[in-house]
Amino acid sequence: MNKCTDSDIQELLPDLLHGALAEAEKVRVDAHVATCESCQEDLDVLRTVKSAAVFAPSIDVDGVVRQIPPYRAIVPAVEAPARTRVASWLVAATLALFVVGGGSVLMTRQNSSGTSVKPPPVDSGARVASTQPAQSRVPVATPNPRIAESVTPAHPHALALAAEADGLSDRGLVQLMNDMDTFDALPGSEPDPVISVDSGDSL
Amino acid sequence: MTPSPEGRPEETDMELIDRWKAGDSRAATRLVGRHSQALARFAASAGERDGIEELVQDTFVRAFASLDSFRGASTLRTWLFTIERRLMLDRRRAERRTRETVPVQEADHVSEYGALDSLIAEEAQERVRKSLDALSPTQREVFTLRVQQGLSYKEIAEVVGSTEGAARVHYHNAIQTVKEFLRDE
Repeated sequence: MNKCTDSDIQELLPDLLHGALAEAEKVRVDAHVATCESCQEDLDVLRTVKSAAVFAPSIDVDGVVRQIPPYRAIVPAVEAPARTRVASWLVAATLALFVVGGGSVLMTRQNSSGTSVKPPPVDSGARVASTQPAQSRVPVATPNPRIAESVTPAHPHALALAAEADGLSDRGLVQLMNDMDTFDALPGSEPDPVISVDSGDSL
Repeated sequence: MTPSPEGRPEETDMELIDRWKAGDSRAATRLVGRHSQALARFAASAGERDGIEELVQDTFVRAFASLDSFRGASTLRTWLFTIERRLMLDRRRAERRTRETVPVQEADHVSEYGALDSLIAEEAQERVRKSLDALSPTQREVFTLRVQQGLSYKEIAEVVGSTEGAARVHYHNAIQTVKEFLRDE
């Protein structure tokens, strides 16, 4: 038996078997099969395989349907329209943005008003060597003393240096750095006690 | 819409789905009745022996639970085959895990029909069964979907997660193997 070389027809044989071909195509395939032994054998094999698919158990349709929950149980009946939900999220996000952003701006302003007031001018060398407590250097003009107290650095020298360094000329900066070279690495006295803002108790 | 045996126009799957969503449980019965046997045959021909009814039931439960994701790009039956095939693979993975055997690969399928023997009375059916056993798991899936279910190569590619070209090659190789096996018997 010669092997069929028309792969197009061979691939259509299952469709012929299932009656899935258009009329014109069915006529063409039928005409080919009538003269092609190889395709006739293929078609016989396909018929045998198709008819052998009878061993599957029959399915209890009602039993299956009983296990399927109703659509309303899968998708809740009362569900807000998608557009409403999106709008709600947008409003909530906008509010959150205002609260967080406004709070940040407020905090920044309060912080800057609490730290931008310069201490009275003193000699830089004497200032950095001073061990005066930080609280005494906090300006009295701060609008909110509690906040000002909370943002005051633990070491007063840091604030003094930062405040004065902004206004120094190049020569002044060089002088300041030379002064800093003469500092001791270790503090000359006990660190100041930290005062709790809320309770006022010493820790 | 094709006419039903009673002369009334046969509702399409999409129409039945819409009716079920609207609360008509009879639509679900129609859909299950329309596709359940095809799913059972596919499972059997793919090598499933035990719990085919349960498998078909699980397939429908899953399918109905996610019908909103079915857009009708393929036929409902193709989509159901895809779900059933995934469930079969999950089952086999679980079975292999409990047996502590070799790791399961995506296309690794059960190849023995064991318990089916008693169900096959006809000699021709027995020969076909053996010839299908001679195929690789993927070849058998493609071949049975094409021959027993009448799916197109495009639909088969969707079910088995492959390409149309690969499905054609698997079909071609499968029919050659089956033909030779039946000829030699």
